[in-house]
Amino acid sequence: MAMTARQRARVSLYIQIGIFVVAVAALVLAIDWKTVGNSVFNFAKIGPMFPDIFLVGLKNTLIYTFLGFVVGLSGGLLLALMKLSAFPLYRWIATGYIEFFRGVPALLVFIAFGYGVPLAFGVQWNVTLIVMISLGMVASAYIAETLRAGLQAVPKGQLEAARSLGMPQWRAMVSIVIPQAFKIVLPPLTNEVILLTKDSSLIYVLGLTASQYELTKFGRDGISSLGAGLTPLLVAGAFYLVITIPLSLLARKFESRSARTKR
Amino acid sequence: MNDVVNSSSGSTGTIHAAGVSIKDLRKSYGSNEVLKGISLDVAPGEVVCLIGPSGSGKSTLLRCVNLLEQPNEGAIHVGGFEATDPDVDIDKMRRKVGMVFQQFNLFPHLNATANCTIAQTKVLKRSQEEADKVARHNLERVGLGHLADRFPDQLSGGQQQRVAIARALSMNPELMLFDEPTSALDPETVGDVLSVMRNLAKEGMTMLVVTHEMGFAREVADRVVFMDGGVVVEEGVAEQVISAPTQARTKEFLRRVLDPTHIEIQE
Repeated sequence: MAMTARQRARVSLYIQIGIFVVAVAALVLAIDWKTVGNSVFNFAKIGPMFPDIFLVGLKNTLIYTFLGFVVGLSGGLLLALMKLSAFPLYRWIATGYIEFFRGVPALLVFIAFGYGVPLAFGVQWNVTLIVMISLGMVASAYIAETLRAGLQAVPKGQLEAARSLGMPQWRAMVSIVIPQAFKIVLPPLTNEVILLTKDSSLIYVLGLTASQYELTKFGRDGISSLGAGLTPLLVAGAFYLVITIPLSLLARKFESRSARTKR
Repeated sequence: MNDVVNSSSGSTGTIHAAGVSIKDLRKSYGSNEVLKGISLDVAPGEVVCLIGPSGSGKSTLLRCVNLLEQPNEGAIHVGGFEATDPDVDIDKMRRKVGMVFQQFNLFPHLNATANCTIAQTKVLKRSQEEADKVARHNLERVGLGHLADRFPDQLSGGQQQRVAIARALSMNPELMLFDEPTSALDPETVGDVLSVMRNLAKEGMTMLVVTHEMGFAREVADRVVFMDGGVVVEEGVAEQVISAPTQARTKEFLRRVLDPTHIEIQE
């Protein structure tokens, strides 16, 4: 018996819902709820995490991310300008840097600056400096590509108009091109901050004192000290969302605003 | 130069006009030679219109005058500057040369006043107060004093182009270059832009204008230069070139431009 197109669509929808229900049911049945209750959702024992998760973990995550972003933004701008330079050597250096730091895991960069550089140069850096440099160097590679795209999205006539008014190249870039590029890259730049927030957790590979713990390290510490299984890590994860979801919303707002003003 | 007199010239409308001298100018893009030896003199205070079919090199010629394009051969003198001298201070020369683009190229992140003040404060080092005064004067001069706070996307094409003219005038240029200033405009706003340019010509500004507006060329230009294929085909008094051209190519071009709906009927 032939079905109409509408009937076929309805049957297909029922089948999809059926598959979804079976998959969720299988997952629920497969989980060992007693153990999960004790070691993942054991909220009764996490009292001691407060208020230090705010005063230490959240605070340090925000500080590390901010420092990494400041270094990443300045380095990224420099690299983006180098990549657009008429001078080939600058372009090669920038391209090499960007490809390298986008290509290796951020974790290895943290290990290199946390352990390798102190060994190689016989210096002892403090944790804040290491995190600032490691995170900043990785971030600058990603931010450079974002900014380069933004700079290239500014119409060529803007630079020509500025130069025609007698502005030297650098002044035309600073006063005319870069402000417009930043407006264009605001949404992707906000996404870079989200990535940085999460990458700041990689500092756990370094030896930290308790006051230097950020959210992830703070959560891992809770695992060993509270006897609530993985629950502290779940709490730490929730704190990341508290930072990243508003940033996501902000990025979306920037996006819709720039879409509105576009002619 | 006396700075007080010079800076107040913006408000009194006094123009120190400069001349242009172009000798045997050649410009190629790869193997494509766009300008094949152009010579052209523009006297201080003179208005010269460059006309010709698209691709004839007239915009490239204009852009060579303020070095937005680098000529390959030949010499250009603008005011006291030799533009083609490799050691010329390009930025200093460009202060004397106002440029108006087909696409306006206003700075979209700045309002009309700030578009007119930014180069004054950053390049000429005028105080913000003085720059604002000059900007206001020039916006009034183009009939837009009441829209000084608007941003470019809040203005019509014709209004944007008039702000672009005010922006150029705020630098007290001695020469103005116009690159098809009305080609991107809605027909009903063309007249406002042309009348601003007409007034500027009356005030004695040296103007080099690439245009397809034959009525404007005939009325305002002292001289008209017809270019085709990278050479000057014909030049002379505006009325004579437009009404009684001597060259076949000029006649053919003007016939098409002045009567675009003309259809050859062949029997």
